This record gives sequence, C-alpha cells and structure tokens, in this order.
Amino acid sequence: MIRPDEIKMSSDQVGKWGMVIDQDVCSGCQACVVACAMENNISFVGEKDSGYGRSMHWIRIERFWEGEYPEVKMTPNQPMLCQQCGSATCEPVCPAFATVHSQAEQLNLQVYNRCVGTRYCANNCPYQVRSFNWRDYKRPEPLTNQLNPDVTVRRRGVMEKCTFCIQRIHKAEDKAKSENREIADGEFTTACSQACPASAITFGRVDDPESLVSQLARVHGHGVKHLEELGTLPNVTYFKGG
Amino acid sequence: MAGYNNKKAEPVHAKIESHSHEEHLREQHLMLDPLPRGRMNEMVMESMYETSWKFWVVFAILSVIVAYGLFYSWGKMIAEGLGIAGVNRPSYWGIFLVNTVFWIGISHAGTFISAILRVFKAEFRRPFTRAAELMTTFGLVQAGFSVFMHLGRVWLAYWLMPYANQRMLWPNLHSPLTWDLLAITTYLLSSTMYLFLPLIPDLAMARDRSTGWRKTFYKTLALGFRGTEGEWAHLRNGMNIFAWAIIPVMFSVHTIVSWDFAAATRPGWNSSIFGPYFVVGALHSGMGAVIMVLAVVRATMKNMKYFIRPEHFDAIGKLMLIISMAWAYFFFNDYMVQWYGGDKWTHQLLHFHEAGPMGWMWFAMLIFNIVIPWAVLWNQKWRSTPWIVFIVGFFINIGMWFERYIIIPISLSINRMPFTWRLYHPGVEIPLGIGTLAFFILLYMGASRLIPLIPVWEVEEGQMAHELKQFGRETVVSVSELE
Amino acid sequence: MADNSVSLLAVFPDLMPAADAIDKLRALGLSDDQMNVISGIPVTEAMLGRPSQWTNVPRLAAGGSILGFCAGAFLVFVTPYLYPVPIQVGTQAFVPGPPTVVVLFELTMLGMLLSTFLGVFLDSYFPNYRPMEYVKEVSDGKIAIFFICPEEGREKFTQAMTALGAEKVEVAQVEHL
Repeated sequence: MIRPDEIKMSSDQVGKWGMVIDQDVCSGCQACVVACAMENNISFVGEKDSGYGRSMHWIRIERFWEGEYPEVKMTPNQPMLCQQCGSATCEPVCPAFATVHSQAEQLNLQVYNRCVGTRYCANNCPYQVRSFNWRDYKRPEPLTNQLNPDVTVRRRGVMEKCTFCIQRIHKAEDKAKSENREIADGEFTTACSQACPASAITFGRVDDPESLVSQLARVHGHGVKHLEELGTLPNVTYFKGG
Repeated sequence: MAGYNNKKAEPVHAKIESHSHEEHLREQHLMLDPLPRGRMNEMVMESMYETSWKFWVVFAILSVIVAYGLFYSWGKMIAEGLGIAGVNRPSYWGIFLVNTVFWIGISHAGTFISAILRVFKAEFRRPFTRAAELMTTFGLVQAGFSVFMHLGRVWLAYWLMPYANQRMLWPNLHSPLTWDLLAITTYLLSSTMYLFLPLIPDLAMARDRSTGWRKTFYKTLALGFRGTEGEWAHLRNGMNIFAWAIIPVMFSVHTIVSWDFAAATRPGWNSSIFGPYFVVGALHSGMGAVIMVLAVVRATMKNMKYFIRPEHFDAIGKLMLIISMAWAYFFFNDYMVQWYGGDKWTHQLLHFHEAGPMGWMWFAMLIFNIVIPWAVLWNQKWRSTPWIVFIVGFFINIGMWFERYIIIPISLSINRMPFTWRLYHPGVEIPLGIGTLAFFILLYMGASRLIPLIPVWEVEEGQMAHELKQFGRETVVSVSELE
Repeated sequence: MADNSVSLLAVFPDLMPAADAIDKLRALGLSDDQMNVISGIPVTEAMLGRPSQWTNVPRLAAGGSILGFCAGAFLVFVTPYLYPVPIQVGTQAFVPGPPTVVVLFELTMLGMLLSTFLGVFLDSYFPNYRPMEYVKEVSDGKIAIFFICPEEGREKFTQAMTALGAEKVEVAQVEHL
C-alpha cells in the first residue's frame, strides 16, 4: 500500500512519457490518424456523424489558413492529440473516477469500465481531444479481422481518448523486465509516430535528458506547449516557425 | 371563527364610509373574509371531487405525449445511444442539461414561497404554499429524468452512489457532479418531507370527510393525526426547523448546479458570479411558473376563486418584478466583466452569443426576462389580473430557458480550439423535453384530484390572526403574531 | 383507566369558551394531565392557559445533523485513503478544501432534515392506526376538550361544560379514525 505522502503529484515532476511534434514538417497526410485508428480499434462513424462533429479519431490534423481567397496562405498543420497533462483538468470532474492519473506511467488514464458517460471530462478538456461513443458503430465482417487484440473495444456511452499507446508501453516494459534491463530509447514508439512519413512526431521519455525527445526539445529551442497558460502541464511540445 | 372588532362609537357618516371601505377590504383580502372552517373544508373537498370531462381529455392527451415523448423516446435512446440526440464535439452537453437546470429552477420557487415567505411572515403566502411546494417535488422529478437522460450509460447510474461495489470505489468527491447528486438528493427528500408535514392535518380533514377508497387512502397517509396538543407541537416545531433549514439547502442546490459550469475551464463558464446568478435565475423562472400554475388552478378548479385572489397575483407580481431586476443585475455583472477584461476567447464567445446564428435567442432572452416584466409588472392593476401575469410568467419561462440554452450548448460551441467550433442541433431532446413538461402537468393534475391543494388549517390560522382595526378615522388591517 | 372514571369529550366552537372550560375543569378538581385538547388549528397552549407541551424534535434534529456530519466526514476524510494507492485526480489534494465544505454541508443538512421528519413521527407515535378517541367536528375547526373525570361526577361536569357553551358533551368513543 502506498502512503499518501509517498505519492508525488505530477505538478512536482517533469513527466515521464512525452512527445515532440514538428509542425513545420507535418504535411497533413493523416497517416498518423489512420495508424492510430487501426492500432486502437477506433470505430468508423460514417460521413453524416463525422460531419456533425462526432468523428472518434484520437488524433486529428487541424488545418488553418490566413487571408481571403485568392490570397490564401496555409499555416502549419497542427496534429492535436491528448496532451497527457500533468495537471489534467479532465481528471477531477469525473464522478466515477474513470479518468485518473497513473503514478507508474505518469499518464492520464481512461478507464472504460468505470465510465457512465457524463461527458464532463470532455467539456473540461481545453484541447477537446476526447471522443465519445455516441452509438454502437458497426464493424461489418471481415473488418473485425483488423482489430488489435491488445486493445479493448468500447461500446456506446463510454468516453475514450489517446493513451500514448499504453499497450505498446506495457509490452515494451514487460519485455525489458523479463530481460532484466531498462527500456532503450526508441525501442518502441506510438502508432502515430511510427506511421508518420515526415518523422514529425517523436515519442519518448521526457525525464531522460539523453532521449531523442528531450534532445529535440533542447535543440530547436522554440517549442511551445499549447494553452500552457491554463496550467495543464501538457507533455507534448510543438515546434513551428523554424 | 371570526376575529373580534374593537371599533369605537363613530359619528354616522364616518361609520358609513368606513363600512364600505371595510367591505372593500374584506372582498379583496382572503384573510379578512373568513368562512366557517367546515364550509372551507367542503369547498376544498369539492374542488378535488368535481372533475369535468375536459379534465380527462387533457389528461388523456398528456398521457399520450408522456408515453411517446418520455418513455418511448427514452427507451429508443437507451437502445441506440446518444447519437440520436444532438450532442457532439464540442457541445457535449445540450438540451438535457438545459432542462435539468430549468426544472431545478422551477422547483426553487416552491421552496421560496413555502419557506422564505413563512420565515418572513408574509401572510399572503397562506393559500398557495402547497400548490407551490407540489411544483418543487414534481419539478425535481423532471430534473431527475433530464439528468439521467443525458448519461451515456444510464443503466449504470447507480455507480455514482456510495455502496459496496465490485469496483471497490467510493464516489469522486472532487467532482461537481457528485456534489450535485448529494445536493439534489437532499433537496428532493427535504422538499417532499416539507410538503408532507403541513399536509398531514389536511389529510386528516379529508379522511374525516370521505368514504370508500379515498377514505382508506387519506386514512393511511394521515397516520392517525387527530390534532392533539402534542401532535401540533411536534408538527409546528418540525415545520419551523424545516422552514429555516431548507433555505440554505435551496441556495446551495442551485449554486452547486451552477458550479457544474463555473468549475470548468471553458471560456464563459469559468465565472465566479455563477452561484448567485443561477439562484436568482431559478427564482425568476420559478416565480413565473408559480403564477402560471396559480392562474390555471384558479380558472379551472371549483371554489378556487375564493382562496386565490387578485391580491395574491399582485403580491407575487411584485416579487417577480424585484427578482427580474436582480436577474438583470447579475446578468449585467457577468456580461460586463467578460466584455471588459475578458480574454480573446471570451470575446469570441460574446460575439457568437450576440451576432452568431443563434443571436436571435440572446435578444429574445433579454426582452422576455427584462423588458416584458419591467413594462408590465410596475402597474398594480395589471399585476392583479391573472391572465396578464400568466402571459408575463410564460415569457419569463421561455426567456430563462433560452438563457440556459445560451449558457450550455451555445457557449460550448466556442472554446480554445477553433478547429472544433460547431453548432449544436437538437435531435431526440425535443420530444424528451416535451415529455417531461407533459409529465409535470400530468403529475400536477393527478395531485389536484388526490390531495387538498389549499392548506385550509393554515388559511384559518391566518384568518384568525387578521382583523380590521380603527386607527382614528381609518380602518386598517392588523395581523397578530400567533406563533 | 381506573374503575370509576369515565372519559368525556366536550366540543366547543370557539377559543374563549374553551379557555373558560379549561379553567372550570381545573376548578372542579382535575389536573392538567387529566385533560387533553384536540383542535383543527394549532391552538397554542398559552391561548388556553395550558402548560407548554414538551417536544423532542429540536434535539432529534441536532442529533441527526451530527450523524449527517459524521457521514460526510467519513466520505471526505476516510474514503480517499481506503485504496491501495490513493487516486490522484488533477493536482488536487486527496482531501481537497472546497469540496470538503460542500459535502459536509449537504450531508449535515440531510441528516438534520431527515431526523426532524422522523422525529415528528417518533414524538407523535405516527403512524397510529389503532382506535382512538376523536370527533370529526375537530377537523371542521372545533376545539374538543377530552378529560377523565370520576363516574359519579359525570352529571356535574357535563352541566358545567354545557353552561360554558359546549356544543356537545359525550362519552369519548374509542374508534377507528
């Protein structure tokens, strides 16, 4: 049993798993979106529901532009996913403890089996990255063959969101533990980061100064954390305008 | 039981003047116009028994609306998921929450009348405390339905209660929704108990005057009340404690509901004035609803014209005007502070409220909540006319529903991630909302057949305390403090 | 009831005659606890010159509020530590300040009001469906004085009550309400 004083609040720490996203090289190809959907058994909601703001992608590419037609200038694409906030605003508001902070992985967890679907967490997420299962979306045979056995499927009424591919984290940790070693940097990565052809997404340990993620953060120097003025302590750093 | 008069001997002409003035006062004020208790009891019993065919027609129509709009549509939504409602990203909350806040607001008027007016010894409350308190209980039932409707997995709603469970979890006390659960449960239980306590003597009266199934019904509910000194002492003591204690509960309930929004980090929601703003808003829509109900009760039920008089509409109308001003104050406070010192997101939100596709609703809200009450309720004659205040109350309720619609789905459309900005279009929420309204009216109609709507013993108590006194040449109404 | 005493019920239409009747009964030798007043409105004891009625309801209310407070205190101070690892949500303390106030307040009020309600029942012995002495005129606004007097004095008492304005004086029937 861990004593309360043994718990370090995430606001006292740097965080464990984090990402760096380089918006300058992101081409907006949506390979990350597709890879994430495949890896995490995300439902296909169809054109109508998607157009009504019900797409369930855990990562989305936000496209903006400046100016009026025909003087339109594209701005850097913005992949937006769960920032795994160190001080998550979604966590305190769930009455059923379905979204809590993980001590071990320093991630924001979503526990499907506790969720009653009040959707307060989604309202309180400043990044609007949470997806709700508005219906039981069908997956006709033989599409069921593409389901990832490492990830559960969710039913209607349950909230879900990006988990930093926690199933891959656990698999790597189990493997490293069985071989009596630490996880090497770059030994595994998230689905989105793996699929990106431009290597715009880098994933790794932000508490390890020698990891690629930390090095990139240092080298570029003009990283931003979105909405950090809200005090959410996000674990994803974005570069643009370099 | 008449009060006694201590008029001294007067010269003849002055006596005639004061006599007609006295007549006028007696006609106007229920408290000065006592009838024998037995007769009043008979009138109240008659109003319960005599049911015209028109009642049953309306009852049948409402039952059909409830069956389709509430039960069938809800069943369909449970089976298919919230997809058939209009909620989406970013408006995760929609009309269900609007209705929840609306119904809780309506329920506050009941407590205001039966508790706050009792504590302030406002005698005009006497005939309609029970009619108002019934609105509280039935309104909270609809609020309960609306809040359960909005849950994604409503069949697991019991997980929010503290009980020994296989997840080995207690509820999360950090969450405003858990505070909501505690507060609304407390309020529902308290207001039902507060409805029941003063009802007991009237149930005893009904028991003494009925036969058959009604007698069994009243006999069971009256619990053997006779009116002994002990029973009255315990009852009045209990009612006093309730009247005082339920006032902070009432304030806390709608404040906690407002914190569902104020505790969130959304632009426009994270406002520190939401607590009192919502409480005053609740009273605003609630008083409008009370006056609508009283106007209908007076117009449709037998003998109610004796008990509910223009003076009552006048008094409630004055309260409505004051509350409308208070609401305008809190609204302006919230708006001005956001407009002046707000950040860019808040400014986008305010612009969306006023000039977006739903801007008409914003203007309608201001007109219905402020302009119409202020234009009508200052005039004493209009205030005392039931159908005029009914219309004002109706517009206030529409305006307040719009206010909550603006606060919830419209404000949710604007957040700090512009890529997600999207309008909310209601779906199955519409039949479900109409279903709750129909159910409220249905419950009320049913109660009017089963429960004496007028607390006759309280009316008689008030009549005993009121008398006309001579102050020089003037005849004045005087109230004794009997408690 | 002793062998030679009888329960009489005198029904009065108004306050003053009833108050006079109480005085008369005392003058005729009855003590206050041999009399009871049943009325259709809460006629206070002071109006009739009767001793004040004791009620336990306030103390029960206070007790209930303490119970409610304890239930709230358990939820707030004890339950966060009943897990193998205390659950962290956001960076709020495990016993957060403002939520503590809210939960304690609500549960204290719930305890107070529930126990007030039950206290009224308890003190009045509700529900009570046994046969009791009662007259229906009471709910029509009359004041009934119910007293126990010796059998021999029945005529004397009846006459005294009627002289003071009693609408009827009869032997109290014990019957189902």
